[in-house]
Amino acid sequence: MKKIAIIEDQDAIRENYIDMLESQGYLVKGYADRISAQDELLANLPDLAIIDIGLGDEIDGGFMLCQALRAKSQTLPIIFLTARDNEIDTVSGLRMGADDYLTKDISLAHLAARISAIFRRQLALNTPQQQAQLIERGELVIDPERMQVTWQGVTIDLTVTEYWLVHALAIRPGHVKQRNDLMNEAKIYVDDSTITSHIKRIRKKFLKIDNAFDHIDTVYGMGYRWEAK
Amino acid sequence: MRIGLRTKVVVLSSFLLLLPWLGHQYVAEMENFLRLGQEKNLVATSRALATALHDRPKLFDSQASFLESVEKGRDLYAYNIVGPIQLDGKLQDWQPYLPLVWHYGDAYLTQDNAMHSDEDISFKHMVGKYKDYLYAQFSVTDDDVVMRGRNTISLERNDHLKIAFTNLEGEVKTYLISTKQAGWVNAFDAETKMPFTQIQGYFRLTKQGYNIELRLPLTLLGNKLGFAILDKDQGEEELAEIATSNLNEQQSLGSILVPSPEIEEIIKGMARAGSRVFVVDQHRRVLADAGNIKSADGGWGDTIKKRKPSRWEQFEEEYLHPIYYKILTRPATEFTDITRDVAALDGSHINAALDGHAKSTWRLTPDQKAVILSAAYPIWIDDQVMGAVIAEETTNGIREIRNKAFEKLFNVILAIMLIGTLSLFLFASIISTRIRRLRDAAEKAIDAQGRVTGKIDKQFSSDEIGDLSRSFASIVNRLGGYTHYLENMSSRLSHELRTPVAVVRSSLESLELQNTHEPSQKYIARAKEGVARLNKILTTMSEATRLEHAIENSQKEQFNLSEVINGCMQGYTLAYPNKHFNLALSDEAYALNGVPEFIAQLLDKLISNAVDFAEKETSIEVNYHITSGKAQFSIFNAGPLLPPDMANHIFDSMVSVRESSKQKEPHLGLGLYMARLICDFHGATITATNKNQGVEFLVTFKG
Repeated sequence: MKKIAIIEDQDAIRENYIDMLESQGYLVKGYADRISAQDELLANLPDLAIIDIGLGDEIDGGFMLCQALRAKSQTLPIIFLTARDNEIDTVSGLRMGADDYLTKDISLAHLAARISAIFRRQLALNTPQQQAQLIERGELVIDPERMQVTWQGVTIDLTVTEYWLVHALAIRPGHVKQRNDLMNEAKIYVDDSTITSHIKRIRKKFLKIDNAFDHIDTVYGMGYRWEAK
Repeated sequence: MRIGLRTKVVVLSSFLLLLPWLGHQYVAEMENFLRLGQEKNLVATSRALATALHDRPKLFDSQASFLESVEKGRDLYAYNIVGPIQLDGKLQDWQPYLPLVWHYGDAYLTQDNAMHSDEDISFKHMVGKYKDYLYAQFSVTDDDVVMRGRNTISLERNDHLKIAFTNLEGEVKTYLISTKQAGWVNAFDAETKMPFTQIQGYFRLTKQGYNIELRLPLTLLGNKLGFAILDKDQGEEELAEIATSNLNEQQSLGSILVPSPEIEEIIKGMARAGSRVFVVDQHRRVLADAGNIKSADGGWGDTIKKRKPSRWEQFEEEYLHPIYYKILTRPATEFTDITRDVAALDGSHINAALDGHAKSTWRLTPDQKAVILSAAYPIWIDDQVMGAVIAEETTNGIREIRNKAFEKLFNVILAIMLIGTLSLFLFASIISTRIRRLRDAAEKAIDAQGRVTGKIDKQFSSDEIGDLSRSFASIVNRLGGYTHYLENMSSRLSHELRTPVAVVRSSLESLELQNTHEPSQKYIARAKEGVARLNKILTTMSEATRLEHAIENSQKEQFNLSEVINGCMQGYTLAYPNKHFNLALSDEAYALNGVPEFIAQLLDKLISNAVDFAEKETSIEVNYHITSGKAQFSIFNAGPLLPPDMANHIFDSMVSVRESSKQKEPHLGLGLYMARLICDFHGATITATNKNQGVEFLVTFKG
């Protein structure tokens, strides 16, 4: 049984999530504040931490907790689940090493799917690679099992959302993906500009490895496409 | 009309112009005092002189001052003649004294003759004194001049002049001027018929008759004198006689008054004292005079020292005085003086003096150029007023002092006004500048949409304007805080509402999972629908906020605007298959510095707005072109018009003009707000206007 820790100061939400996840067969423990959570979780790491950013009096309590946990473990999956949806928080959350950044308007089913996706990726990373399942688009290789993307042989550290976006674009090179399509494929519901900033971040991650990367094309007013070249 | 602060101050400072008036009043008052002083002075002068003449009857004896009355024409007065008289019968030496010449006509005939006319015989005559001689001139009108016959012994059978006077001993002496021919003449003693060369003269024939000029030594003369012209006409025995007085009786012989050398001696000194002095007898006849009125300023003017003018004085003289003397009058050195040659003086002061009281009067010269002050003081001899001393001065001295005072006053006033007006003007300028700066700052602080865009710098001066600026600054600050609060309202609301929505949503989902009861599922579904709608609202609200953040953090790049618009429009024709677009798009490249995604978003908002409002069966017209370096695109849809007063406000946050009944989806009025944010970011202007039964949105990029 996977152990999941939910750190959320709103009792009702916390309880609802606990109930929902327990019904999914996870072992869930909820914490209402950073201090108690940090003490317990550092001593006994869970399999997944779902953290709200604002915790009680601490506006950035979730960030501090995330840093503490990441310091303890490089591999522990962390999801931010918060009401804060602005760019700065999203970026800083992901930079701290979170695997996903979700806003609270997400449905329970969606959350469950995300959690299972993360566990699946973890599981897949630990099992030997099976060549046949790989999607190859030139120098891009996508491993759907592990939800892993490599460019020129280098693994790119994408979040789950980013993974789905790359996946959606690369699966049909040359086809324009409208933002709505991308949202559906990435299983998130956000506004257009969020998609834009996600795409920008993905480009940056590729550019870090390859200065000449220009395979994600903007089709103004419509969406994006993967340019095979 | 708008009157600025500066104008007002200048108008108010014009009250400084009262200063010259005040100064004028002051100087006028001073002048009055000076005049009063001069008056007292003059009275004192005349008193001093009178004192010298009191109780000296000898001085007056010979002057016929004891007569009860004097008669003009009969009683003669020898005027003081200034220049020498040439005895030539031409009379031009007498020219200045013409007004004093007396005309002897009918009234002076010795025998009444009704038939007499002035052409028959009449004459004009006057006497004058020059040095030691008495001069007399006769201008005789005679239609028939009869000279003494060449061999005639008789002196009295022709036209002749008879002279009678008392000598110093009181005897009456009579002489005749009777000549055989025109030319130099001597008198004959009437008794001895012998020539008397001490009386000499000149006889000249003229058109009217003849002129006689003659002179006799003053030493001969007593105090009575008379002349008679006797006219002999051809064929008439009787001689017509016109006489100044009856020469035949000593009693009725007219008097002669010669200005008294003794008295003149006494008063001569006064001429140097800056006054003109007359001594008159009780008949107001001038016994003596001294001094010239034109230089008689009583010595007042002498107080103003003449020295070498300094540079300032030169400047004054050159530039200021011409202005001052447009108002001021310089004391006139040339003016007409009526008293110059009169035998008898008149005036209330003389009357008073002859009545025994000292008095002074002011009078203007006839040409009004000067004011003359006269003071008269009685001369007493044995309790009887024998005459009066009259001293006269002009007020020119005072006028000069007054003018000097005015000059100084004007200098000071000019300086005060100049400095005062200038400093007031400066002061007003500074104040108005400060106020204007404050106004500009206040206007700049809040834009046309009423958003607080800037701050007002506090002025640190401790005056009211400083206070005003500080209170403005704090008002704008507070207002800024408030608008900031309002602007962030949506983002905060979306943030704050998201948690309760999450609670409701997660609870509903849990409920949905657990509850299989059919009827409750229906309600759960409805509740979820409501939550979803609420969620949509929150997403839209956060979208605007996110755009604001994105705009703040975005980096501009150069891109081709036409490409973006072309691409977008292709997308829209796909995205809205039910709508028809009329496109007029220029392919001309236009490089814009900005963020292409934002432009796409801007188009999204405008097109979606147009699609929402467009009436069925109408097309949306999109026009993009570049004119004179400015890119412009317009989106027109036929449909409901904008309310007239909303045209500028539909771009504001949370403003929507949609009819709520027609709304299927929640609209917060953020779409066009975002459009404006993007336009502002790209330095473009966006306007919405009603046009041809529809609305046109026009975006103009500044070149």
